[in-house]
Order: sequence, then structure tokens, then C-alpha cells
Amino acid sequence: MSEMLIERQFERQKDTLPGAFEPRKRALAAFLERGYPTRRDEAWRYTDLKPIAEAEFDAPAAADARTRERVRARVEETAPPADATRIVIADGLVDEALSTPPNEIALARLVGDERLDRIGRTAASAHPLALLNRAFARDGIRVHVAAGKAATAPLEIVLVASGNGRIAQHPRIVIDLERNAALDVVVRAIDLDDAEGWLNVVFDVVQAEGSRLRIFRLQEHGDRLDSTSFLSARLDKDASLVAGYVDLGGRVTRNDIDVELAGPGASADLFGVFVASPGRHVDDEIHVDHAAPHTRSETAFRGIADRDGRGVFRGKLLVRPGAQKIDARQSSDNLLLADKAEIDTRPELEIYADDVKCSHGATVGELDEDQMFYLRSRGLDADSARALLTFAFANVLLGRLEPAPLRERAVARVAGGLAGLVEWESLR
Amino acid sequence: MLRIRNLHVEVDSRPILKGLDLDVGAGEVHAIMGPNGSGKSTLAQVLAGREDYRVTAGTVELDGRDLLAMAPEERARAGVFLAFQYPIEIPGVNNAYLLKAALNAQRKARGLPEIDAFEFMKLIGAKLEAMQMSRDFLHRSVNEGFSGGEKKRNEILQMLMLEPRLALLDETDSGLDVDALKIVANGINSLRSPERAIVLVTHYERLLELVVPDYVHVLAGGRIVKSGDRALARELDERGYDWIQAEAAAS
Ligand SMILES: Nc1ncnc2c1ncn2[C@@H]1O[C@H](COP(=O)(O)OP(=O)(O)OP(=O)(O)O)[C@@H](O)[C@H]1O
Ligand SMILES: [Mg+2]
Repeated sequence: MSEMLIERQFERQKDTLPGAFEPRKRALAAFLERGYPTRRDEAWRYTDLKPIAEAEFDAPAAADARTRERVRARVEETAPPADATRIVIADGLVDEALSTPPNEIALARLVGDERLDRIGRTAASAHPLALLNRAFARDGIRVHVAAGKAATAPLEIVLVASGNGRIAQHPRIVIDLERNAALDVVVRAIDLDDAEGWLNVVFDVVQAEGSRLRIFRLQEHGDRLDSTSFLSARLDKDASLVAGYVDLGGRVTRNDIDVELAGPGASADLFGVFVASPGRHVDDEIHVDHAAPHTRSETAFRGIADRDGRGVFRGKLLVRPGAQKIDARQSSDNLLLADKAEIDTRPELEIYADDVKCSHGATVGELDEDQMFYLRSRGLDADSARALLTFAFANVLLGRLEPAPLRERAVARVAGGLAGLVEWESLR
Repeated sequence: MLRIRNLHVEVDSRPILKGLDLDVGAGEVHAIMGPNGSGKSTLAQVLAGREDYRVTAGTVELDGRDLLAMAPEERARAGVFLAFQYPIEIPGVNNAYLLKAALNAQRKARGLPEIDAFEFMKLIGAKLEAMQMSRDFLHRSVNEGFSGGEKKRNEILQMLMLEPRLALLDETDSGLDVDALKIVANGINSLRSPERAIVLVTHYERLLELVVPDYVHVLAGGRIVKSGDRALARELDERGYDWIQAEAAAS
């Protein structure tokens, strides 16, 4: 039934979708073969896309002058990193007037690109979110950093939902790093007002030998926006990837990260923090594939759920046959602040090699009584101590965010009313 | 200042303190010694307000107020400070932030305005110097990854910032090297004043050479079984606790 809705949407939009049509049709057909994932699918056991599947969405339209001004203001007020090269993607369309011209990295808009379905690693992906993105993507960017080049300023990608109607947007970000290239990417997801809609973004990453990529993503959607993201990365020999996700808003949020360590010496550091405050559902599905020997990965996620907030973490570690000398660590720590809050965490290890160092740990708990007593014995009242420890739980990972303005923004958002905290955090 | 009468405390429904009496007057330094597991830390934690230690009988008054009826933070604001035997690590909480939050919570309770950033930095700078601690400690998480001795110094740093009226120091001297012991002892001595009282829980005579107590007590079997002056500490150092426990059992 909901599959019929998506078909109808496609029919309605097909004349306005840029680029070659056939590949889109094929992607949609592939999606429809299996339809929306159901809870019978291990990867979707705790997350139901029904609110998305059953909604009628409008097609994105280019922003008018008034909306553009409001987007500009919102982008500014959410404290962006100062020296970044900025790309604003509003309702799935790159807004060049709000973006800064790139200097040292090659950026190309993907709109109308005939190869939309062929470039990158997700071109052949059967992931349902990737298929929908391929069918509906209208725009996005392709980032290319040439061999040996290290971008001096971060690339900031701001994904905005304007709230002009209930829009489904499917931006596509392709990042291609050649040998020994280096890049920092900041992704900020924000809304205007109380925007309703769905953001389904795909990050497609290909890293050649020795390249270094860091992606830090701060999601601050409002209460009526659903967000799904799919990051797929392939790392060659000695390449390194850092991906840090902070999810503070949204109604249903689902993040898929899929990293293939394809060459010896490749390494991935994946971390994330979510705060599932009332009415929010956050699900992180993290896959790390050790396909080559001498690869390392660290996955560390922390979740906080309050009242009826709901969190999910599933970490899948795969060590392929013959992939010896692997160092793989995974942890999922979660904090429940209320009886009705719920977090499900499932570490899964599949190891087909024998000379590996793997560790994993998952915890779901409440605030530590000894820490509470220690703080109170210093004069902090119980509420302040609780708030401080809740913040601290997240802050352990927030501290890894870069650059400083992004970290301070995340810290300030999580710290809420804790006066003076940001000041201290920024001293470092 | 502190008046403890017939204090009974259970931990996990096991009686640990069994009728403890103790009086500590303003300006005094008391040392509490006693065998492992005799209840010294239990006493210190109960006085600081730890809730899972159940008081089944007895009274504790601080300046005539019922201490046991007060929440831990109220006690802190009334001037009670406990230097923990095992200081708690709090990853993600900046050491400087805690110091400032603690100081301001106590100032607020006394009707004083919040300390301004400049004053705070000046104050903390002086205390760090007194404790011979590097400024790096300010920006690290509370006690996380600190060595045993660094944790103890950090407790004393907090104490110097908060200037408590009643300081309870639970084995702050354990695990300190010779130089650190002197630094910590100087810190404690700098706080000695006619308005303040200090209770030292210790196993070692060495600290008491540097912070000379007015009274020495032996806690054994959940009570103070013997009190004396500094000479008692020396005697314990030489003879151990067996003779006292025998003496107490006989009476
Ligand atoms: N949380 C607890 N659960 C169970 N037993 C406890 C707990 N805390 C303390 N105890 C017990 O209470 C007794 C007194 O402990 P306490 O820590 O007060 O001793 P202490 O005199 O400080 O010893 P030490 O000199 O070794 O520090 C011990 O037997 C200890 O095992
Ligand atoms: Mg003890």
C-alpha cells in the first residue's frame, strides 16, 4: 500500500527529475521488489518507516527570495565554522547563492549528471535507502580532492528543510579522495521552524591509498522531520576515515554507516551520540567490514533516552577469511533517564580469521550513584548533578568533534541549561 | 562543632558502626585510626550524607543542627567536606567546571554572588601552585586517568577552594610519595584555624608528624575504643591494634 504511494510520487515527479530517466526507473523497480523494510529484517527490527511510507510528500522546488533569506539566517544562527567552504542544500537542491565558491577542492553539482546512478560506490547498492535516493535524487555534490592535496579549510555541507510543504528530499554527496588526499567535512542538518518532511541523504565515499577523511555531522532537526542517512565508504590501503555523528532532533532518525576496509593498513574511527528526548526515535546501524589484513576499526556510540524516547544501536563487525592481524573495537553505552525510555543495543561479530584482536561491549544503565554522591558532596544539588552527569556521558564523545565551533554548538545544545559549561569546554 | 552520639550504621543490612560517640570542637584536629574494615570510611561517608549507608540509631549534630536530616549538598553548603579515600572518576566533567560549580553552589547558599571568571582564575591559580599541580589538571576530566597520588592532591585542591568548616580526610595520605605528602600536609595545615575542624582518617604516623593532631582515636568493632593524644598514634605504630582490641574486649 505504501509502495503504491511511492510509485505515485515517482509518476508525479518523473517529468521534473533531472538527468537520465531509465536508471531511476530501475532503482525504483529494485526498491519495489522488496518494498519498505519490515521488522522481520534484522537490520530494521526496531525501526518502522511507516510514518515515512504512509506520508504524501511534495516535490522540492527552488527557494524563492524570502525562503532563501530565512535559510541564510538560519544557517548563520546555528553557528557554522568560520573558515569553511560552504555548500547549502535546501530541500534537496544546491543553493549556489548561499554557498561559497570552493577554492582548493573540486566541487561539481550533480544536478542533471547523466552518471548519477553510476558514480560512486552506492551506484550498485541494494540498500533500500540508497535505491530510493537513486530514484529520486535531484541534486547533490561531487567532491574530488586530487592526489597529495590536503584541503586547508573544512567543507561544510548544510542540509536544510525549508518547511515549504511536506517535502521528501534525497540529496546525494559523493566524496572521492585520491592518493594521500585529505579532507574534513562538516555536515549540519537543520530546519526552518517546524518543517515537516523527510531527508534521505546518501554519502558515497571512495578513498584511495593513504587518503584521510573526517566527517562530523550534527543533526538538529525539529520534531516533525524524519531523517535517514546512508554513508557507504570504501577505504584502500592505509586510508583513514573518522565519522562522528550527533543526533539531537528529528522524529524518526535512522543512520546507516557501512565501511569497507579494503586495503591493509586502512582504519576507521566511528563514533556517535544521540539524545532521544521525548517523541524521538533514533537508530544507528553500523557495519564495518574488515576485508583486508592489518586493518583497524573503533566504533563507539553513546545514546541517551528520556521519557518515551527510543534508541537503537546495532553494530556489525565482519572479519573476512584471511583478514589476519585485525584490531577491531566496538562499544555501545546507553543511558536511560526514565522508566518508559528504551534503548536496544546489539553488537554482532562475525569473525572468520583467527589472528584478530576484537572487543565489544554494550551497556544500558542509569546514572552512576557514586558519581552522583561525589558531586552532591561538593555542593551540587541533585538536579544539577544529574544534568551534569547526563551531559558528561555524552561529552566524552562530543569532545572528539571538530572544528571547535561545531563542538561548542553540540556541547551547548546537549548541556542545555548548565551555565558556564561551554566556556570551559572551549578552553581546551 | 560536631557531636556524634550512639551512632549505629548498617551497610547491606550488616551492622558496621555500633554505637559510636565522638566530639570534635572548632579549631581542633582529630585523627582516627583503626584496623582495615573497622568502619572509618563508613563513618566519613555517613557524615557526608551517603544514602545507601543506613543509620539505624543515634544522632549527629553540626553546630546544633541535625546533620543526618540534611541532604549531601546541604551538608556541603553547611561546610562539610569529605576527601574520599577513593576519589570518583567522572569522565566528561571538566575539573575546573566542577570546582567552579561547587564553589558557586556554596556561595549561593551563603547569599554571595557567583564568583567572576577573573577572580576564579586568580584563586585557582594560587591553589594549584600551593598543591604544585600543573594547570593541565583544570582541563582534564575529574580524576579520570589521574594517578593515585594525583587524585589525592586533587581532593585537597578542592578542599582549599571550598574552605570547609569541617574537613573529613579519608586516608588522603595513602599512596603519596614523600614530597607529595609534604605538599598535602601543608595544604591541610593552611586550613587550620580556630573556626575550622579537621578529622584525619589515617593508617600512618608519618602524616601526624606533619599535621599534628590534638586528639587521636582508635575505631575498632564499630566504636571509638580508645582516645588519647599524639602519643597514642606512636604507640599504635609500634604495637599495632591487638592490645587495644584485647583491652576493649576485657572492659
Ligand atoms: N557498599 C558496601 N557493601 C558491603 N559492604 C560494605 C560496603 N561498604 C563497606 N562495607 C563493609 O563495611 C566494613 C567497613 O568498611 P570501611 O570502608 O568503613 O572500613 P575502613 O575502616 O575504612 O577500612 P580501611 O582501613 O581498609 O579503609 C567493611 O567490612 C566493608 O567490607
Ligand atoms: Mg577506609
